[in-house]
Amino acid sequence: MSDLGPQRRPRPRGRSARAWFVLPAVIALLAAACASPASSTAPGSSSSAPASSAGPAGSLAPSSSAPSSSVAAAGASGTGVSGSVTHLTVGLGYIPSVQFAQFYLAQQAGYYRAAGLDVTFQNKIDPDLVVLVGQGNLDAGIADGTSVIPAVSQGIPIRYIATIYGTFPNIVFAKASSGITTAGDLKGKRIGTPCKCGSSWIMLQALLQSAHLTTSDVQIVEYPDYSQEAAVYRGAVDAATGYTNNEPLQLESQGQKVVVLHVDQTLPLPGPGLISSTQTIATKGAALRAFVAATLRAMRDIEANPQKGFDAALAVVPQLKSQQALQMSILKATIATWQSPYTQAHGLGAIDQAGWQQSVSFMSGLPEHLVPHPVTVSQLVDPSLLPSG
Amino acid sequence: MSVRRALDVTAAAVAFVLFWKLIVVVGNYPVFILPAPEVVAERFVSAWLDGTMEPNAAQTLLEVVLGFALGASAALVAGYALARSRLIERVLSPYLVAAQATPILALAPLLALWFGSGLLSKVVICALIVFFPVAVATMVGLRNVDRRLLEMARSFRATPWQLLWTLELPAAMPGIMGGMRVGVTLAVVGAIIGEWAGGEQGLGVLINLARGSLFDIPLLFATLLTVALLGVVLYLIVALVERRIVGPRG
Repeated sequence: MSDLGPQRRPRPRGRSARAWFVLPAVIALLAAACASPASSTAPGSSSSAPASSAGPAGSLAPSSSAPSSSVAAAGASGTGVSGSVTHLTVGLGYIPSVQFAQFYLAQQAGYYRAAGLDVTFQNKIDPDLVVLVGQGNLDAGIADGTSVIPAVSQGIPIRYIATIYGTFPNIVFAKASSGITTAGDLKGKRIGTPCKCGSSWIMLQALLQSAHLTTSDVQIVEYPDYSQEAAVYRGAVDAATGYTNNEPLQLESQGQKVVVLHVDQTLPLPGPGLISSTQTIATKGAALRAFVAATLRAMRDIEANPQKGFDAALAVVPQLKSQQALQMSILKATIATWQSPYTQAHGLGAIDQAGWQQSVSFMSGLPEHLVPHPVTVSQLVDPSLLPSG
Repeated sequence: MSVRRALDVTAAAVAFVLFWKLIVVVGNYPVFILPAPEVVAERFVSAWLDGTMEPNAAQTLLEVVLGFALGASAALVAGYALARSRLIERVLSPYLVAAQATPILALAPLLALWFGSGLLSKVVICALIVFFPVAVATMVGLRNVDRRLLEMARSFRATPWQLLWTLELPAAMPGIMGGMRVGVTLAVVGAIIGEWAGGEQGLGVLINLARGSLFDIPLLFATLLTVALLGVVLYLIVALVERRIVGPRG
């Protein structure tokens, strides 16, 4: 083998050889002692999904790194319990955005504080959030339901505890002039998507399957920089994947008539919702239940009066003011996704377990092997923390 | 390689694996936080056997080889020009340094936008990341050629081509090959960054999939191991070429 560095002076052989083994052992012990303890929950007993993949809807450049707002006593930022106040650290997707208005409102209106909670928000990207929740570094987070299924299948101990997006927000959109009106019309068309991964890719496959098509029946064009909206606008592709509260609104704001294809009519894929780890549920179940209730209360407030939500988001993301009309329309489109026929019948936040079962079956058959180990719905969701649970 | 060196390398590898295993055991880490070495080894083997790894590794290797060839070739020419012309050095150096200081991670999405998310953008990223160390090594190597030898060659009326081919290049070769060693490992990094910015195949794509879609952390580690092995093998190939051309170092 070639030299990897300068020649070294010869050393006594015995000491050198022993050092190779003794030194790492000492360092390992120190490292393990210093590292944060991992969840000891058995893999496969819970699940979660990232919400950051809920897309850049309404995203503006954050004014600072991660917004960290706390309603309770100053200095309370951990995840422990002090007195009657329970500290919760909650991961929100991507960057601060109007789509998280319900969390901001619950914080600013004192719903969390009234429930005995001191809530701190952190913005995380999807895969990080799922693992951090599973590890217990975050008490809860908002994550895609379609990420919860593979994560639990891989042994990450998380559970989906409340639905936020009752309607799956990932959609296929096209200009009305494209002539595309149904999933069957996508045959032979060029479809833009950021990557062959994530919730949009799963949705696209489900949508195509509903018309007895597969991805080989269309021409996939990847836009890793999320520029598929511009590609649709200039005609580089016929349609693209996106988010119901983002790209179609952006196109309409440019005077385009847009067609949107939803997957929900054929397969009720689970949208982004709140997740937590099995260990956190066991140790902070009451606090999580209160957090879910307070968040749902804020969602109902915003449904009744979207301006309240916008004002709450504006307080966290002042840059929203520069695009007030567009951001308000994004918020309204987001609100529209909170409900589904199931949540309308069973209450905001309700978890459609039959839909989850269908989704597990569908995702188990996908070529990406997203579900390498079998999972049951009871391993994926925990509706007991819902107000009606 | 001597028996002693082989023993040292083996001992270091064994110590590393033991260190890793010890952390997993003492920390009681679940697989999704830190998989044990035997779990990663098992996934590494299965990913190669079931065809998951091979096409991605081949794609990354192609990007690295093409990018390194392009970047190193351009850097040799640029390094020669920089070494020979103070004017060129004065004019180009600020741009070269600025380009080197700009994080390739930030440039990668732009390059994907300009050159598409196919092979070309990855090759360009690899070439860019390889260019600077090789160009600087070439410039420094050529400038450090013994002036007395140059004067002697000129006194024998050696042509510029003869000077370069028979004196300057051989004398500068240890430095140039040092730049190549750095460059080839950076080319692997460049390919992975390029694939992160978008692509259909490659080890960077597989890392993203394992982490973001599949939550298959052992596969993530197995892919990282493949990336590391790729870097080491390429480095050793360059070192072997260097040994053939220049002779053993030190």
